[in-house]
Amino acid sequence: MANLKKIGELIFRRKNRDYSDSELMKQIAVGDQAAFGELYHRYKDRMYYYFYRMLGNSDEQTNDFLQELFLKLIEKPESYSSSFPFKTWLYSVANNMCKNEYRRRNVRQEYEDFESAQPKLDYLSETCIEPEQIIEKIFATLDDLGEEHRSAFLLRYREGFSIKEVAEILELPEGTVKSRLFYAKKLLAGKLDYLKNEIEF
Amino acid sequence: MNRKNQDQLFTELLRNDFVGKPDQSVEDRLMYSFMLKNSRSKLRQNSFSSFLGWIFSVQGLGLKTGLVSVVLFFSLFNNQLNFESSGTIGLDSISNQRTLLADSAQFIQSLDSIHKDSLY
Repeated sequence: MANLKKIGELIFRRKNRDYSDSELMKQIAVGDQAAFGELYHRYKDRMYYYFYRMLGNSDEQTNDFLQELFLKLIEKPESYSSSFPFKTWLYSVANNMCKNEYRRRNVRQEYEDFESAQPKLDYLSETCIEPEQIIEKIFATLDDLGEEHRSAFLLRYREGFSIKEVAEILELPEGTVKSRLFYAKKLLAGKLDYLKNEIEF
Repeated sequence: MNRKNQDQLFTELLRNDFVGKPDQSVEDRLMYSFMLKNSRSKLRQNSFSSFLGWIFSVQGLGLKTGLVSVVLFFSLFNNQLNFESSGTIGLDSISNQRTLLADSAQFIQSLDSIHKDSLY
């Protein structure tokens, strides 16, 4: 009996995990909570990582941004157009949120700089081998270049987006994305001794 | 090391990077928000608010004007269109019906006449 039920389920009812992201978004628009749950589970870890690395490694803020991102999806599912790939669209929304946050921080930073000038720590002078330390040094180095280079770097090497997709997400010409990646890698090789030996330019 | 290896190195480094997982409370809050939104929209579906909103909005003015014109046309010309072909239109005093009301004075008068009759 249980087997028959299972077969019936297989024939007549597709499970949410079988649906594409765009199909799930259509279901979310008509109030399907299970579809939302599925989509959240598909993207929560990736978006968490993206926000974490983009916003300066704060768990609390990352969770807040993740929640805000998916709240946008709940409140206005119609803002997604199925003519675009969902993944690209989601990252572009996340990237815009990070941009706004950086803008807000810059305003605050200007005020703080005026109040007190703090000496900057040099994370890059020592030679290291541990992958975790390399990662930390990479992101510390990318801080010097700004969020545009960091986002291009993350999208390209962590998420595996093509140059064209990165350009779509960041709303930039492909040439600009290529040059940002080039300068990011060049800076990394220049600052990190370990990478300097590993990477050829 | 060629360009491919250079890209591979960054890809490997970043893909093996683990920064933790999102808080479970985020998912709980999102699910609650979704449930709230659903209940709000269901409440709207069961009410006339959206229909009334449409009626008093500027949307579909042409359609609304058309509908009002049709209703007005039928309400104004309905009496003129609805007449019997065999009937004649005019006043006929014979067919006038008077409403008969009970008048207690008449009852008293008739009772008096009964009493008078009894005397005789």
